[in-house]
Amino acid sequence: MIRLLLNRLWQTAIVLFGVSVITFIIMHSAPGHPLQANPELRLDPTAVERWLELRELDEPLPAQYIGWLSRMFRGDFGKSLIYNRPVPELALERLPATLLLTVPAFLLALGLAISCGTWAALRQGGFVDRLLGLATLAGLSLPSFWLGIILMMLFSYGYPWLPASGMRTAENSSVSDILAHLVLPVTMLVAGSFSYYVRYVRYTVLAVLSQDFIRIARARGFTELYIVFRHVLPNASLPIVTVAALSLPQLFTGALVAEYVFSWPGIGRWIVTSTLARDYPVIMAVNLSAAALVAFSNFLADLLFLLIDPRLRFKA
Amino acid sequence: MVFVLMIIGFSFLLLNGCQKGQEETNLQVLHVAAPASPITLNPLFARDAGSLEAAALLHPQLLGTNPDTLEVEPRLFASFELQADNLTYLFRLQEGLLWSDGTPLTADDVAFTLLLISHGDYTGWLYPLLRFVDGAEEYRNKRLSPYAQGEISGIRVIDEHTIAIRLKQLHAPFLSYLTFPPLPAHKLQNVKVAEMEGHPSLRNVLVGAGPYLLAAWKPDEYLHVRANPDYHLGKPKIAEIYYRFIPNIEAQVIELLAGKLDLLPTAVKVEDVEMLAADRQISIHKNERLVYDYIAINQKEEGSPLKDKRVRQALAMLLDKDELVTNLLLGNAEVLHGPLLPLHFAFDREFSQEKGSLPAARQLLLQAGHPQFQLKLIFNSGNIIRENVALLFKEQAAQVGIDVQIHALEWEAFLAALTNGDYDLAILGRSADADPDLSFHWHSQGAGNRTGYANEKVDRLLEEGVAVLDKERRSELYRQIQELIVADAPIIWLYTRQAIHAASADLQGFAAHPESLFYNVHLWSLAGREDGL
Repeated sequence: MIRLLLNRLWQTAIVLFGVSVITFIIMHSAPGHPLQANPELRLDPTAVERWLELRELDEPLPAQYIGWLSRMFRGDFGKSLIYNRPVPELALERLPATLLLTVPAFLLALGLAISCGTWAALRQGGFVDRLLGLATLAGLSLPSFWLGIILMMLFSYGYPWLPASGMRTAENSSVSDILAHLVLPVTMLVAGSFSYYVRYVRYTVLAVLSQDFIRIARARGFTELYIVFRHVLPNASLPIVTVAALSLPQLFTGALVAEYVFSWPGIGRWIVTSTLARDYPVIMAVNLSAAALVAFSNFLADLLFLLIDPRLRFKA
Repeated sequence: MVFVLMIIGFSFLLLNGCQKGQEETNLQVLHVAAPASPITLNPLFARDAGSLEAAALLHPQLLGTNPDTLEVEPRLFASFELQADNLTYLFRLQEGLLWSDGTPLTADDVAFTLLLISHGDYTGWLYPLLRFVDGAEEYRNKRLSPYAQGEISGIRVIDEHTIAIRLKQLHAPFLSYLTFPPLPAHKLQNVKVAEMEGHPSLRNVLVGAGPYLLAAWKPDEYLHVRANPDYHLGKPKIAEIYYRFIPNIEAQVIELLAGKLDLLPTAVKVEDVEMLAADRQISIHKNERLVYDYIAINQKEEGSPLKDKRVRQALAMLLDKDELVTNLLLGNAEVLHGPLLPLHFAFDREFSQEKGSLPAARQLLLQAGHPQFQLKLIFNSGNIIRENVALLFKEQAAQVGIDVQIHALEWEAFLAALTNGDYDLAILGRSADADPDLSFHWHSQGAGNRTGYANEKVDRLLEEGVAVLDKERRSELYRQIQELIVADAPIIWLYTRQAIHAASADLQGFAAHPESLFYNVHLWSLAGREDGL
């Protein structure tokens, strides 16, 4: 067990190092630097020079990378070139809004997918199953931004019940105000990820249902409900846990399309504007944290496996 | 699961703060949309239009310009006069100016700001404007202290309300440069200039003297400001403004129609104007701006047919600009034939290029010995108007034997192509100064002269143009310069677009300035909203 853990840590370290080097190279080979974004800006050339010098951007690339790495090890993620503030501060400022959007959407999509998927699998070929097939096909093939705009046209304009943009009306908004702002973006996110999860659930539940021990359980006269909760779901949970765990990093990196469509002040928009503006320290920190999160979620999935499946624990 | 619920609860707490009071109902509150969040509220370091607009709510200007004539007007400086030496300006501040913390705003604050801008560690955009001040260049190069201290020989504080600025030589546009705000010396004199760009007291504008004071800045959400009771032009009538950052333009329109926004500034789409104008709750405002669109011509490539003036003249004949304005911009623009804009006092309404025809263009190409060739035309993807201009251009060019290849590029790639000269033609926009001085783009040494345009006579006349004060004479000079530049056909001028704003019909007193959305914001009011909505 401990060897497994150490092995994982070691692998993760190598992956993170690789990610940082590759990000660094790609970022610096992309054209432009933050002060070039606006060609009409009337900056004095000496001011640009001084600006680069003050931020150590005039040094050769390897020196810049080593400088960044050594600061990283001291826990210093650097300052945004655009906002002139520490990167973690900027990220933390946007994290609550991001989680407020992604976590409920994730839980709702997963919860709905597990219940609907199981139902559909139990009544395979029935009305609900066929309806769900159609709905998931639609959910997967409709572009989410389009769905977002349609939702907005319907419920913010046609029937102006819900706000079309932002997270709240003012600093002292009530909880209900924030909830009203949440409805449309969460719906848009759920529509997309629900369709994705529900197919997994239905498929895995079907696979479990076709196994012998279920037939035996039925033969022994257990109620359907008992079979589903005692035998089907625990056995089907392994693949579902994998899929869910792999979605975890997305909770933190935000939901760019929904954030854009509904002007949600999340992390996704910040990442994109930072990338477009060549805000090097932000891009480095974000990519590295995202890679670390992916590694962590994989690790978490493995741990959950051990927890759920006693056979794996035995092997380990 | 418990962990996740805790996160959600925690997020709510963080966002919600502690108060859950009802919104005050008897205040005038204005909701304005912005396409992007400001990056900084520090006007001396802002490098993007969004930050400069937002900063205008919180900072007063030393001098303003009239929205119609662009003539310099008093602001914090109540008066300004040029001394007999024709080099020294004497500025007198209004009496009784206060920072929001109660400290008087004095000539020392102005001097501190000028020192800061001229400092060697200052990396903002204003220094090029101050290099005409006597001693500013020496001060910048010496960099004696990391703080904005010391002296510039041309700047002298005479008393609390008076400051004299002496220039190296007469520079006619100088007053029009002083539209930036002063910063509070008592808060910032102990901050190193190199650290000022991200300094918290500037980010949060704890101390201001503008029409509004900062109540809250929620990144990527909104800027919330409250009327400054001590604003030197009078307390603003609208008590609070929410400047909301809504990147999705469709959402902006929907929120306006639903009555949740009061103003969509500047960039309302031309195709939405009719629909919005039909709504009785909404009024459309338009104003001219100091920007124009043009087609840049790359003449740096060896052996390119574009090096031949006749070829460039032929290219300039291809597009029917009236048609562009009528059909693409639905009349919300003015055709442009040269670098002077309708807002400039030197603008010549009579000046126009003779309307070329396709046969005339073909003739010129034949004379130049380039009957057939290929050109690469680039523009930034996502700009529908420019895309249509490109298509029309390609169609017209095909008729005179030029094969135009169109490339729509992502913004950064577009900029890179421009910088590296990887194009023959490029459709882009540019902004002009309030003063008709064209040196920035057209002097051979101009910092904004990207195409490498050089004409000795133009250089000489440009230098003469800033060295005289008489408006008539300057007008004459700039018209002459315009003729010379246009005769060289260095670029193809297209049109100057109007700013189109859609506002709630309740909004009174709104009249945007060509350079500033929040011009005279203290005079705006919301009719019939005293009882609250």
